[in-house]
Amino acid sequence: MLRNHRQEMVVALLFVLPFVLIYGVLFLWPTFQMVYLSFTDAPLIGPGEWIGIENYVEMFDDRRFWTSVRNTAYFVVLTVIPNTLIGLVIAMMVSRLKGWQQSLILAMFFLPYILPVTVVYRIWNWMFNVQFGIMQYPLTWIFGKATPVFRTQWMFMPAVAFVTVWWTCGFNILLFLSGLRSISTDIYEAAALDNASRWTIFRRITWPLIWPVTALVLTIQLILQLKIFDQVYLFVQGGRPDPSMVMVQYIYSQAFQKNEGGYAAAISVALFVIVIVFSILQFQVLRGRGQK
Amino acid sequence: MSDIVLKEVSKSFGVVSVLDKVSMQIKSGEFIVFLGPSGCGKSTLLRMIAGLEEVTDGEIYLGGERVDQLPPNERGVAMVFQNYALYPHMTVRDNMSFGLQNVGTPKDEIVRRVEDAARMLEITQLLDRRPAQLSGGQRQRVAIGRAIVRDPKAFLLDEPLSNLDAGLRVRTRLELAQLHNRIRATMIFVTHDQTEAMTLATRIVVMNNRRIEQIGTPMEVYSRPATRFVASFVGSPAMNFIPVAALDDVGGKASVTFAGQSPVETGVPAAGLPTGNLTLGIRAESARITQGEGAIKGVADVVERLGERTLVYTRLPDSTILVAEDAGISQIQPGDAVNITIDGNAAILFDESGKAYHAAA
Repeated sequence: MLRNHRQEMVVALLFVLPFVLIYGVLFLWPTFQMVYLSFTDAPLIGPGEWIGIENYVEMFDDRRFWTSVRNTAYFVVLTVIPNTLIGLVIAMMVSRLKGWQQSLILAMFFLPYILPVTVVYRIWNWMFNVQFGIMQYPLTWIFGKATPVFRTQWMFMPAVAFVTVWWTCGFNILLFLSGLRSISTDIYEAAALDNASRWTIFRRITWPLIWPVTALVLTIQLILQLKIFDQVYLFVQGGRPDPSMVMVQYIYSQAFQKNEGGYAAAISVALFVIVIVFSILQFQVLRGRGQK
Repeated sequence: MSDIVLKEVSKSFGVVSVLDKVSMQIKSGEFIVFLGPSGCGKSTLLRMIAGLEEVTDGEIYLGGERVDQLPPNERGVAMVFQNYALYPHMTVRDNMSFGLQNVGTPKDEIVRRVEDAARMLEITQLLDRRPAQLSGGQRQRVAIGRAIVRDPKAFLLDEPLSNLDAGLRVRTRLELAQLHNRIRATMIFVTHDQTEAMTLATRIVVMNNRRIEQIGTPMEVYSRPATRFVASFVGSPAMNFIPVAALDDVGGKASVTFAGQSPVETGVPAAGLPTGNLTLGIRAESARITQGEGAIKGVADVVERLGERTLVYTRLPDSTILVAEDAGISQIQPGDAVNITIDGNAAILFDESGKAYHAAA
């Protein structure tokens, strides 16, 4: 059949136009604006003077900026790999269950994921409450006295990371479970006949075959956790925010509390670059490993 | 020695029974084919021998040792799966080595065994490829190779040819027969294809509806089926079954009459035949079109010319269809009146329960 190519092109363009428009207006344009803004001394609202790279120079000398970078990195280390591994381990246990038992257990692990962050904050703030929190029983047993976890500097990030893993690992479990289900049972039966021990089966069958999912989960987690804000912001309330400041929180405080739109934009560009570089780097490295 | 003995093996999933007291003895080096329609329990039986399904009741012995409670790896059997179940992320070499590595076989020994098997199966040039880079027939060979390197007590093959296209299936069938001749290992092969069963088996185990219908050599199963099910399942075209209207004793042999036809003398001894409705079974090649007067008269309905012979689907007066054979060059046209003679010695009588009564051997 002959086709009118020009007409097809027009139809195709019409179909992609809504997306291109929305993408342009809501993502590309603001991104350009942000980069532009980072070279000005603009307040939160309204224009500013072009000041070149002054914001970036200031940023490199800003101790609080580097603290926020370190804290963000620390949070990523505490969440990304543990969350991925815990997701895989739980998914492997859930996948051994059958029928309604599997659905029930899966639902229980997934439940926290549907909670809004404020509810998660409330739950765990109570759980860790110094006077009546149930977590004080193990904490008292370990430290010999009631411990205000979110007011203790060295405990703050690990505790927030713990809550984050509890909150989000249901989604990773789901991804891993679908990955595990896509491995044919025949292969496990063949391995059983091939004298493979449980550990060998995991190491030489499950782990390599689940690797594409693992790489995906690691990358999604990395991007997500680099942008950490809500949990830290909520749990730090009533305490001193500075020592546990993460990058998005610092951007927020510069823009919305200090009215430094241009400087906040510069930090945002820095975060943007970090996210892109790390996620591309990680994805390439992980993919390469899988293809070996 | 790698005899396999099953003693009253039963299997049920919950309340659903899938195998009911199956017993058999398989001698070392035999090529046994489990033949039956889908759902008859043949694959389940194979998987129970492999240890992939638990035995609900009964005992399984392998080389004299009771194995029904042992895990699969301690039974010393190898299995070729229907869809091959190759490890997709490993090369052919690793696929074949995996089982040996797991039992700590020395490296050079593994290399030697894998290369020997690869040479035998002519897949040496494929050793460094992944399964995804192989054709169906090549994957099939790798799956067999993976079984061979382990030097198992028995090879269990679960419909291994069903995923191959028709031409390749026939060739692989032949190669499998050659392989068995060469390595003389005990093989159990599951299929629903009676041609595969007839061509490969030293003995066929015909199964239906949770039970064994018959165990015998291909020719026993073909010529002297134990039940009506076996008679109908084995052979192409399927055996004819004609309801017997009247039964007489002529010199100790059963003489049967069909509705509206002359009597036919069979070789089946009349003594011992049950009362009640009987059915006569006759294969097309023993029901021949004749120019003279035959015992059976009918009208040709469909004429299939197969080259070396012609099959005439003949409608009898009571509307039963009888498939008769004629020479390759046949003058018969649909609608012609035909006469058919029946070879009484090849005729089989079936009682209502399906039990077969044969002419004396």
